[in-house]
Amino acid sequence: MIPEIGHFALVLALALGIMQGSVPFYGALRNDSLLMATAVPTAVAQFVFIAISFAALTMCYVGSDFSVVNVFENSHSLKPLIYKISGVWGNHEGSMLLWVLILALFGALVALFGGNLPITLRANVLAVQSWIAVAFMVFILATSNPFMRLAPAPGEGRDLNPLLQDPGLAIHPPLLYVGYVGLSISFSFAIAALIEGRIDAAWARWVRPWTLLAWIFLTLGISMGSYWAYYTLGWGGWWFWDPVENASFMPWLITTALLHSAVVMEKRNALKIWTILLAIMAFSLSLVGTFLVRSGVLTSVHAFATDPSRGVFILALLVLFIGGAFVLFAWRAPLLKQGGLFAPVSREGALVLNNLFLVTACMSVFVGTLYPLALEALTGEKISVGAPFFNATFGPLFLVLLLAVPFGPLLAWKRGDLPGVAQRLMAAAGVALAVMVGCYAVVQGGPVLAPLVVGIAVYVIIGAFTDLAERTGLFRMSPKAALARAAGLPRSAWGTMIAHLALGITLIGIVGETQFGTERIAEMKPGQSIEIGGYDIRFDGMATRPGPNYSDQIARFTVQRGGAVIGEIEPSKRTFPARSTTRTEAALMSRGFSQIYVSLGDPSPGGTIAVRAYHKPLVLLIWLGTIVMVLGGLLSLSDRRLRVGAPKPARSKPVMQPAE
Amino acid sequence: MTRKQRRLILIGSALAVLVLAVGLVLSALKDSIVFFNSPTDVVEKQIAPGARIRLGGLVQQGSIVRGDNLQVRFAVTDGQHTITVAYQGLLPDLFREGQGVVTEGMLEPGGTFRADSVLAKHDENYMPREVAERLKQQGHWRDEESKKAKGSTR
Amino acid sequence: MTLWFVFALMTAAAIFAVLWPLSRRGSAVRSGSDLAVYRDQLDEIRRDRAAGLIGENEATAAQVEVSRRLIAAADAEAAVPRAAQPATMTWRHRTVAVAALVLLPVVAVGLYLAVGSPMLPGQPLASRAPDRQSIAHMVAQVEAHLAKNPNEGRGWEVVAPIYLRMGRFEDAVRARRNALELSGATAERHAGLGEALVAAANGVVTAEALGSFKAALALDPAHVQARFFLGLAAEQEGRLNEAVAMWRALLDGAPADAPWADFIRGELMRVAGGKGPSEDQVAAAANLPPEQRIAMIKGMVAQLAERLGKDGSDIEGWLRLVRSYMVLGERERARAAVGEARRALAAEPDKLRRIDELVKGFGLDG
Repeated sequence: MIPEIGHFALVLALALGIMQGSVPFYGALRNDSLLMATAVPTAVAQFVFIAISFAALTMCYVGSDFSVVNVFENSHSLKPLIYKISGVWGNHEGSMLLWVLILALFGALVALFGGNLPITLRANVLAVQSWIAVAFMVFILATSNPFMRLAPAPGEGRDLNPLLQDPGLAIHPPLLYVGYVGLSISFSFAIAALIEGRIDAAWARWVRPWTLLAWIFLTLGISMGSYWAYYTLGWGGWWFWDPVENASFMPWLITTALLHSAVVMEKRNALKIWTILLAIMAFSLSLVGTFLVRSGVLTSVHAFATDPSRGVFILALLVLFIGGAFVLFAWRAPLLKQGGLFAPVSREGALVLNNLFLVTACMSVFVGTLYPLALEALTGEKISVGAPFFNATFGPLFLVLLLAVPFGPLLAWKRGDLPGVAQRLMAAAGVALAVMVGCYAVVQGGPVLAPLVVGIAVYVIIGAFTDLAERTGLFRMSPKAALARAAGLPRSAWGTMIAHLALGITLIGIVGETQFGTERIAEMKPGQSIEIGGYDIRFDGMATRPGPNYSDQIARFTVQRGGAVIGEIEPSKRTFPARSTTRTEAALMSRGFSQIYVSLGDPSPGGTIAVRAYHKPLVLLIWLGTIVMVLGGLLSLSDRRLRVGAPKPARSKPVMQPAE
Repeated sequence: MTRKQRRLILIGSALAVLVLAVGLVLSALKDSIVFFNSPTDVVEKQIAPGARIRLGGLVQQGSIVRGDNLQVRFAVTDGQHTITVAYQGLLPDLFREGQGVVTEGMLEPGGTFRADSVLAKHDENYMPREVAERLKQQGHWRDEESKKAKGSTR
Repeated sequence: MTLWFVFALMTAAAIFAVLWPLSRRGSAVRSGSDLAVYRDQLDEIRRDRAAGLIGENEATAAQVEVSRRLIAAADAEAAVPRAAQPATMTWRHRTVAVAALVLLPVVAVGLYLAVGSPMLPGQPLASRAPDRQSIAHMVAQVEAHLAKNPNEGRGWEVVAPIYLRMGRFEDAVRARRNALELSGATAERHAGLGEALVAAANGVVTAEALGSFKAALALDPAHVQARFFLGLAAEQEGRLNEAVAMWRALLDGAPADAPWADFIRGELMRVAGGKGPSEDQVAAAANLPPEQRIAMIKGMVAQLAERLGKDGSDIEGWLRLVRSYMVLGERERARAAVGEARRALAAEPDKLRRIDELVKGFGLDG
């Protein structure tokens, strides 16, 4: 009964979604408040039904109901409970259901907390949101139904794959999904604004926190995925510019741009059309990402062509939503009232510059990701666009952007004082330059790039502190007064500062890992040592150790520095006899923010073993930075107060800014 | 500053950034793209030694020869032609005889392919796209089910 | 019945979600507007100034700017008529209400009947008690045990023949392999692996399987199963004389009551083309190539090939054809048939895979 309840709830949610998509929309058209009011309960009910459906599927997994094809194919009665649950979204069908669930959740949240929205705007937003949900529910029911049944039920499920039983895999996809799908809200707001032909002040006020929420989850999801790849792959890499990674990174870039442009819109009532365009682009890219990952087009353009039902369906959805949105944009955007123009040298100007760079950087990633697919589809020629391409295009664009980062918060709204700001950043630039030179001297003729980037990172970090010092008047007032002012600073200002600071932290981690890291590959006999990054690693011998459903062949290493023993690390080759698969488990030892990373190759007959050892200086800063970035986002999100960009009267001392 | 000037500055800077980006993309596309080839492609296109390419196919059964100091030689085949690959370093977990592989490097004058990386992915079912493609065309393809089973019989 | 009751309840709830707001006519519908936002902003500035967060000048400037926007918004609002609040239900609302009452259930139930399986009860593992003693369940138990103690050769040995009987040949091969590795090599274990390999290769004695049987015979030259399969291998390679000779030797050495003797006699009969089981006849059939039999087989194969040439969707047919060619020793034809089969089945990866497995088994792709 449970699977059928889930199935029916999904169908019902679809029927209700069609209602929700049309009645409030019609009501908005006819200015009929009762019809518009139906949007709220239907949105909530739609979420409830999809939640019932998802809960039913989860129960099927937990109870190992193998009469459900999806459960049979992706679960096993012996899986630990947590992996039975994570198995719900560990497969195509279930993950699409999760997608729709989050979509409906966001819709319900807008319905419940949208009391202060103009009623027509709310009706239109919920209608658009519902159409997205309807499209995906049709997709699920038509091509990827998780509630298909089997009779008689098989005795046991098919999947007990130990390699996929990893906490990283259990948490990472839902985080990313919340990020992806959260962007649907700004998309729906954008479309609703286009339909209405006007943008209210409430529009901007609403779009920013939702975008921020989505951005926080995207950041977390991407960062977790990266760390997962780092510790499981055994290659020591943390970012591969893989199409799947890019698919999540592109929406992140555009969302970051959207966050900044929404500020301008909220404070200065400008950049309206551009903000709408960004909102459309952000969600479109997350749809493209879903398409890339879900259609099989990445594995093979031809796999897509031979089994096209899903791919074609998603492609049709893409064309419908993205194409439709852009057509609507082209048609309606000129009707929107233009915001005012502003001086190029102002905070608005700086934010526009930020947007320009983020969007072009995203475009370069887009080209690198889709060019090989397009080329193969058109000419059949196969190429691979790898890290070198992205380093050569994305890298420089982002570095230039970073140079501009500290200027933004220091510039005033409306009319900025560029020389003044530059002067205030002199200290940051000076320290950065000193660090750069010092770094260059220490490295001695290494790549010029590394010290340069370190310098930029230091400059970004000190720039963020400069911003703080300026706002609190740290060096002009007594420390006590400065502290009081710091406490009184709006949280969003703290958020900005912390997020920018985090950017610098991550950058230092990246430079440390890529430019100063060392790697050694060697065949080692027991008793032999290798030196890496100032540490001596001695191979002590092999041992076997049984695990719950595997056996480990461990290599013991002693790590020493200057003759003193620091500790032991034990990378292993883990064999799962039930599947006859072997996986290399790298061992990591953290020293401050740096890590020693040892991974094993094949043991040779002579008792030697191939070892891949890395010293990764400051590598942990990469993820620490993203976490700090998320903290900044959360701080900013907790600041519900709205502020107005007040013009600063010329000549007044740059005391404080009415912060954002 | 007049409105017109402001607008010009805005548009001008947008164009400048765009031109910069397009320039970077074009130059990178020229320099850092690697073409994928099967052994047959290498023979038919007569790829010159020294050009950086990716070579993909199946590791031929019984062709792996390990030498000192992590040197390894193996043959990559697509059923029609076979090319010997020389590599120094650790091989990925999923590297096995009879399985798909993608290597990157360049041909040496003697016809041996000197690889500086041998690629594998974190998904055990993952077959590098290009390899799957070529093998499918040539009828060597086994999908993940049989691959899993195959992997498990070792 | 409970199921339909739950469905009805859910549908009613869905209808209610649409009808409820429609029924609240007359009551004011709350609507936020720009005015509220701007008023908020003004309050904000006032608070900030009181807290000393912004200076007097900035606050005044900001206040002026927001007030300007507030006035503009108020003007705009006045120009637009407030949303209509009809006192009675208009035809529009009635239409929507009827649509919700009729369309929601019709669409939902219609769609559900098209895709759902209402007659199928849920079958969580716990509720399938009668299944508990089934082979599948026993296998599951052993598998559970093995998942925890994967290094126990004994368990693999127990489960292997069950896999074989259940048709899970690949699993049987794996189990046999693990048993061999973990418990040490015996003739029995080598032969068991060989048998599983043969089963996995659709009955063909592959090179690998042959190796296993030879390994078994190296440990125990009299191992019956291994000797039988060696004979089968000879037969499949077209060396019928050898096959017959081997099997006859096997029979000669058999104890009188050997349970497998009849089976081998049957095989000898099969090879001899259905002639009588007497040893002389078998020998005769083997000594002079049974042209009649071969001709008949060839005729059948030709028919099969012709049929498949017209309609290539029959995977079983293709497999049989390729196997027949191999048994007849016509390797080139087998290879050609594989090519044809791949073309005919190009759109069906499942079937292609089976072809590929067969090809692999025969070593045809080398």
